[in-house]
Amino acid sequence: MGSLDSYLPIFVLLVLGVLFAALSIGVSRLLGPRRPHAAKGAPYECGIVPTNELPRRFPVRFYLIAMIFVIFDIEIIFLFPWAVIYDQLGRFGLVEVIVFAGAVFVSFIYLVADGALDWGPARRARSFGSEPGRTTESAVRRVGAAGGRAE
Amino acid sequence: MTIDGSWYLALAAVLFTIGAVGVLVRRNVLVMFMCIELMLNAANLTFVTFSRELNDIGGQVAVFFVLVVAAAEVVVGLGIIVAIYRHRVGATADDPHELRG
Amino acid sequence: MTPFAALAPAGLAIPHIDYTALLPELILLGGVLVLIGVSAMTPRRLPTGVYATMTVAIAAAALVASLRLWRDVQNHGAFTTVAHSVDVDGFAVYFLVLVSCILIVAAIIGSGYLRREGIAGCEYYALALISGSGAMLMASANDLIFIFLALEVLSIPLYVMAGFDRRRPTSQEAAIKYFVLGAFSSAVFVYGIALVYGATGSTNLPEIGAFLAHNVITANGVLLAGIALLIVGFSFKVAAVPFHMWTPDVYQGAPTPVTGFMAALAKAGGFAAFLRVFVATFPTLRGDWQPVIWALAALTLVGGAIVALAQRDVKRMLAYSSINHAGFVLIGLQAVTTKGVAASAYYLFAYAFMVLGSFAVVGVVGAKGDRRHDLEAYRGLAARNPVLATVFSVLLLAQAGVPFTTGFFAKFYVIAASVGAHSYALAVVAMASAAIAVFFYLRVVLLMYSTQPADPGDEATTPGPAGGGVATLVRIPVGRLVVQPSIALGLAVSVGVTVVFGVWPQPLIDFTRAATFIFH
Repeated sequence: MGSLDSYLPIFVLLVLGVLFAALSIGVSRLLGPRRPHAAKGAPYECGIVPTNELPRRFPVRFYLIAMIFVIFDIEIIFLFPWAVIYDQLGRFGLVEVIVFAGAVFVSFIYLVADGALDWGPARRARSFGSEPGRTTESAVRRVGAAGGRAE
Repeated sequence: MTIDGSWYLALAAVLFTIGAVGVLVRRNVLVMFMCIELMLNAANLTFVTFSRELNDIGGQVAVFFVLVVAAAEVVVGLGIIVAIYRHRVGATADDPHELRG
Repeated sequence: MTPFAALAPAGLAIPHIDYTALLPELILLGGVLVLIGVSAMTPRRLPTGVYATMTVAIAAAALVASLRLWRDVQNHGAFTTVAHSVDVDGFAVYFLVLVSCILIVAAIIGSGYLRREGIAGCEYYALALISGSGAMLMASANDLIFIFLALEVLSIPLYVMAGFDRRRPTSQEAAIKYFVLGAFSSAVFVYGIALVYGATGSTNLPEIGAFLAHNVITANGVLLAGIALLIVGFSFKVAAVPFHMWTPDVYQGAPTPVTGFMAALAKAGGFAAFLRVFVATFPTLRGDWQPVIWALAALTLVGGAIVALAQRDVKRMLAYSSINHAGFVLIGLQAVTTKGVAASAYYLFAYAFMVLGSFAVVGVVGAKGDRRHDLEAYRGLAARNPVLATVFSVLLLAQAGVPFTTGFFAKFYVIAASVGAHSYALAVVAMASAAIAVFFYLRVVLLMYSTQPADPGDEATTPGPAGGGVATLVRIPVGRLVVQPSIALGLAVSVGVTVVFGVWPQPLIDFTRAATFIFH
């Protein structure tokens, strides 16, 4: 490794970064006019008043699907390096990958059984504890056309 | 003009600082969340740069694990945020205020 | 594809993996797969007791595997596996045993709570087991990246568990606060790892130690910055002042048995890695980091004890008391001696059982809905359930460090280690904070035995939080408090360990001493 003096710029820039952030917040607080207004607290944080009421509750299903997607995305991150050199890893690598994929698969079975992939108004077979009032289904219905009532 | 490793390290340090200040200053949970991602990616950039400078594969392997952890955090964080959204209107860190003492 | 292939070493050396050395962790993770598999395959949700029994069996199997590993390590010495990233030594196996015990007690206590609250399903147990495996990996990790991974495996299930009671908004609030600050501290921690890697050229702890022992670094700014960030990251996880802000809110908001589990497990896992990284890897730089730990320990001891005095909510009070306990464990770290490490390890063992038991009692007194945690709820508890009041008194007095409990020996040994390392001022601070702490523990004990009835209006009903959605008024029974059999069993174990090893301390002390011989 080279001389550690070459890392000096990091610290200079770290200090500069902190100073800049502190300075810009401080100056804007000192100099900026303060006229609190309801519109400024509204979405977009810039004073534009929303013209119509947006549907508040986005169907939770979309988030669920996105989360499940991320899990499989991550599975690929680990499968990819293995696939590049699987012939060198031999049986050891194969067994390890099968164990890994098996663990993800069991979790996937759990998700399916828990109704995470049921897309539609049918009630989930089993609900977590008892949750009175709002359910996913009622939220989906309220949002209406934007929601996932297909099928 | 050649760009040596210290520039990348400096960039990573700045990114990390922006992320850290963002988490402490911003009040929207999703924005705080993005700032945390920024911090993790700054660490990744540092790992890759050092890996290159030291000519050692270890730093690049570390990036894989950091990526995976970041994704796991995204999933869990989104899950918690969605659970809160279903009971509340906004997603602001100051909105939950029942725990004070 | 090409860049990856180019980077792969020509003759790929497959690391030797000793699966028997990883057996406790593998049992826990395999157990999780069995649990969620069973849960997915059964058409109806099974009663919580079934999952609790399975979890206790899994954790007991891990305990047996850990004890076998202990015997191997004692007979054949410590060894490393998985390309030197897992260190199987007495210190690691000590924590494997402790974590297995924590899991058993937490599963027993949790099942009683879940039954009372009517929450079915395997999620609590599965998350607890994953978190436990993370704590085990943290204790045996020998590589900074591995520690980071284990830290996340430990923490991420805890974020979810903190928000487990979805009917109570405070629980979700606890989850989001814990999550944001936990993820923030993880990011700080991993950036610290990156800097240490850059300065030393390795993430492997023995390699870093060897590099530092053989090289004199003239400009060690990057290394010191990395170490500072590591200290910040660890301090967040173990809740040391000034990185403790999340603790009271999260401890108060999380479901009560989860709070006990979190307190016991996160402290054990966090401190295990903290001790290994700093005492075993960075002893050559102790001149730089020891004063920082000194300041952290002093602040944590005093801050935790003083703020706890002002608390009206018992869960918050116990949260600050847990911060105070973290200060005591830090004293053992600050000593940087074998005695210090042994004292810290002993403290964590004693603390785990005291805190699990204490929060189990708080959960019982909290009544259905887990909402009644005001100090007034404890007034006259001895009349409502004398056994429960006695048990809680014993646990609180043990936390205060009264003789004939493990709490006394725990405090005694850390202070002795501190004196042995010539940190006299810190020893004095520790004794002063212990004296302050006695006051708030005794206040609860006296309230329980106070005969004055509370204000009847206050006792009869208590308003539920707005937006809770279940009911606006929660009726509180004034009469006898019923303790469920499983919680009684968990309490018996906690009090048993606390008192038996307090009266007959030698076995546990020998166990700790044998576990920490590696540090010199």
